[in-house]
Amino acid sequence: MSIRIITRAIQRLSTVRTGTRTPTYFKLMTRAESTTVVPKQKFDSVTEQYLGFGNFVAECLPKYIQKIQISSKNELELLIAPEGVLPVFHFLKNQTNCQFANLSDLCAVDVPQRSNRFEIVYNLLSLRFNTRIRVKTYTDELTPIDSITSIYEAANWYEREIWDMFGVFFTNHPDLRRILTDYGFEGHPFRKDFPLSGYVEVRYDDEKKRVVVEPLEMSQEFRRFELSTPWEQFPNFRSASPTTEEVVSADKEKK
Amino acid sequence: MSYKYLKQTTGLTRLNVAKSPHYTLGVLYGKILRTLRKMPEDAAYRKYTEQIISNRAKIVQETVAVEDFEKKIDCGQAEELIVQAENELVLSRQMLAFKPWESLIAKPSADQWSWPPSK
Repeated sequence: MSIRIITRAIQRLSTVRTGTRTPTYFKLMTRAESTTVVPKQKFDSVTEQYLGFGNFVAECLPKYIQKIQISSKNELELLIAPEGVLPVFHFLKNQTNCQFANLSDLCAVDVPQRSNRFEIVYNLLSLRFNTRIRVKTYTDELTPIDSITSIYEAANWYEREIWDMFGVFFTNHPDLRRILTDYGFEGHPFRKDFPLSGYVEVRYDDEKKRVVVEPLEMSQEFRRFELSTPWEQFPNFRSASPTTEEVVSADKEKK
Repeated sequence: MSYKYLKQTTGLTRLNVAKSPHYTLGVLYGKILRTLRKMPEDAAYRKYTEQIISNRAKIVQETVAVEDFEKKIDCGQAEELIVQAENELVLSRQMLAFKPWESLIAKPSADQWSWPPSK
């Protein structure tokens, strides 16, 4: 029998949600798992249900799920291997206990220090059970990631946005073009190494009677312009405890 | 094996009233269970899904009126149950190809899931 240990109990906002309909399967899952879950910290009932559900998904898909965690605002997060994007979303959308039929958002995060610098974040909503879940995966500049447009139509434009802003390539996307930047734009503006001022400037030329695009020129050459992004924006939190609490299952540790 | 009254609409867009929900659900649940039997015995996906589906199949089989089994299953109208069963069937067939019960496919690098990232 696997013993699940909840590590790193940290400060959490104890949000008690009242008035929401509790899905019956969460209750069932918690009851089934209650013999195996050994929490170090006492959780409220909502968090326990999330933990039970997270353990259920991890048990069903051990091939793809690397980690489960609960964020400081009591949200369930699944951290998955990039190879598992399609199976995990197929499961979350179509399994009777999940039914996350709605992709509410899809975005990316750039962390240049990491070897896989891009984190792709999917937010799902289950209308049937009135719950949300967040799924995260990772990739680098060159590795393409599977497009989920075959599962969620809504992912089409979101993936184009990520392609435009971060330069993450999605395989099997029906129409992967830029979506937010102008025609002929070069570079991916949300990358941390993209200069704040950009590479070109645009102005209306009265003689040519049209808008011209020119390489960027700074008028005060003697002044030191800070072109790089001020990356460390929260130095005060350098040694702060992480904002999530991790759920480690003992049988996973052994592997 | 029918409705207690004439059901004209499900009230949901593009979801038509099912003509014979008992028959459709029975066929779908049978197909799902047969697909699940091809998976290894100890696969958690098979275990949990078999539990849910056989439970629903039993309720549908035992209950005569559609309204009654809708209430017993408590997961929407019969038409919605059909959609759920169709999804589950597609999923179970795909799971046979994905084989999600195997061990972890790729381990993340040590700093991948740490936050704040400077640590």
